[in-house]
Amino acid sequence: MIPAPGGPDEGWSRLSPRKLLLDPVKAVGQAIVPVVVALVGISQNPRFWPIILPIAIVAPLLFGILPWLTTHFRLTETQIQVRSGILNKNTSTAPLDRVRSVDLEASLLHRVLGVQKVQIGTGVDDDRITLDALAAADAQALRTTLLRRRTAPDPIADVTAGAALDEHQEPTGPAPPAPEPAPVLLARIDWSWLRFAPFSLGRLVILAGAVGVFSQFGDNLPIWNEETATSTWNWLTQFAVIAIVVVLLVVGLGVWLVVSVGGYVVQWWNFLLVREHGSLHLTSGLFTRRSITVEEAKVRGVVLTEPVLMRVVGGAELATLATGVEDGVTRVLPPCPRDVAVGVGETVVEHRGPLTDALVEHGPRARRRAWIRQVLNALDVLVVAAIAWWFLDFSWWWLVGLAAVLLVLAAAAGEASYRHLGHRLSGDHLVAGSGVLARIRTVLETDGIIGWVITQSWWQRRIGLADLTATTAAGAERVLVRDVRLDVAVALADDATPGLLGDFLAETA
Amino acid sequence: MSDVGASDGVTSAASRTPVLREPAHQVSRQAVPFWTVSALLGDGVVVVAAALAYFLIPDVPGWTGLVVLALALAAAAHVALMPRIRFRVHRWEVSDTAVHTREGWIGRETRIAPLSRVQTVDSRQGALMRLFGLASITVTTASAAGPITVDCLDADVARDVVARLTEITAATEGDAT
Repeated sequence: MIPAPGGPDEGWSRLSPRKLLLDPVKAVGQAIVPVVVALVGISQNPRFWPIILPIAIVAPLLFGILPWLTTHFRLTETQIQVRSGILNKNTSTAPLDRVRSVDLEASLLHRVLGVQKVQIGTGVDDDRITLDALAAADAQALRTTLLRRRTAPDPIADVTAGAALDEHQEPTGPAPPAPEPAPVLLARIDWSWLRFAPFSLGRLVILAGAVGVFSQFGDNLPIWNEETATSTWNWLTQFAVIAIVVVLLVVGLGVWLVVSVGGYVVQWWNFLLVREHGSLHLTSGLFTRRSITVEEAKVRGVVLTEPVLMRVVGGAELATLATGVEDGVTRVLPPCPRDVAVGVGETVVEHRGPLTDALVEHGPRARRRAWIRQVLNALDVLVVAAIAWWFLDFSWWWLVGLAAVLLVLAAAAGEASYRHLGHRLSGDHLVAGSGVLARIRTVLETDGIIGWVITQSWWQRRIGLADLTATTAAGAERVLVRDVRLDVAVALADDATPGLLGDFLAETA
Repeated sequence: MSDVGASDGVTSAASRTPVLREPAHQVSRQAVPFWTVSALLGDGVVVVAAALAYFLIPDVPGWTGLVVLALALAAAAHVALMPRIRFRVHRWEVSDTAVHTREGWIGRETRIAPLSRVQTVDSRQGALMRLFGLASITVTTASAAGPITVDCLDADVARDVVARLTEITAATEGDAT
């Protein structure tokens, strides 16, 4: 339990006293620029020093002391309550049986001070209860207490969750029937996975931003002056263009390697995914240590993503689809080998098939639509290029070359997107394949389907295809099966949710 | 399951081919004049603005006149055809367990949601709808992708349906996710 130094009243505790250091440092960190600017300005005129200096010292202290003095929390038998504020007294309460997630987070500063930020999600409300910060041990204890209270005390309500848990406990050891089962390790970081880092383009945005900043300075470099550019043009075209391109490529690749691998290490340092108290629990991070908890009873499915570059080296990413959390899609694995992602995914959905079974293809008409969709995209680009060609003075060879390249790319993208397309009903899971460049497989528990939408555009009606959408409260709130034959779509929906369509079906043998 | 939809053109090997029948009820007859008037108002603004621009701005090239004309023709076709087609397509039905609607006029959209997962039942009546004695019902579920709207019912019918839906959904338990 949490030590309750709150004194004579009813079990109210304060946040960690180390918050007194945490907040001032944070406040100084945030205000450093204006403060420095102010100090530099002031230093011109020494008369103001006696006024400014006390403010600069006292303000951060106040920032730290006031919240600590005024924030109290306590656990009762049924609720967690947090009181804060001086003038406006805020009291947040959450029933313990509504606690869906307890996330711990520690920035570098938090970790130096040995404290953690606790965020308690109740699923129903959007705002979460935040306790910033508790001593690390207290935070852990609070988390364990909250999660155990949720699962343990009501044996009737949690029969199913308990049974599912026990099943997976058995292989790990003697599995004592104690109220607190040992955590099961699902995945931990394997540094050979670093090989996937350069193939995961998520961080490319950061690099692009950096390049953008750098290009600001590039304008000031002498080579980019217009006169020098034109005078050296002939010489450049003969020799240096190739050299420059090669150098830029090599430098770019080098920077990319450093950024991607570095980012991977910082984000996934000591990554650990365990299953305990009926929840998935993820911790990782080199500087900021995140700890994310997803209640398994709320997990309705998973998404397995294989971005095009990662697929070349056999990598994949995995996210869970959950209901009642702020962001329903939670990444639970770093870029890792496909086998690992599939294994963890199967453990989470507790079935073998959905992530590996072959998908039902949607046929030549769907393939045609996939091609046409990509070719139309290419034509859009081509029209823009043609307009540019009309006004600017390119050689028309450029346009023809661009058209050829774009059409080849469109054909490749169209064929790829068709190959990724598909659907299947695997046990009680709906599986949908999608993605143009990335291969994405979405697995949704049929229990989590809360409605169907069948849309047909005019073109689709002419060739008997339809888009089938399963609506759900989990994840992105919809799972789309694109360009499937209408009767297949209806049969799939009927099989996935037996009885729901029953009233509206006219069977023709 | 694996044999359904092997490929187009090949008859499915499944023993049955379930077909979704159309929902039982049409929307109110008043929907046709309502849609006509709202389309007339919406399209009219655009066409009049385009025509004004054509006549008032000096030295416009001649072909823009054709554009304005085409716009006017398209608007006329829209006003004349859309409400009638839409009246034929729009249908709805509430069974004891589910809501089923079909809508659209060029495309088709069919929506089905189980009543056990319904979270809210709203009815809406705009000023113009009131003039024609119409009301719309929107049924929402826990999914942002799942709201079902039954457009343009007779106001009385809408009231009855809302009452019935509220009664059924109040009886179901759970948090509907």
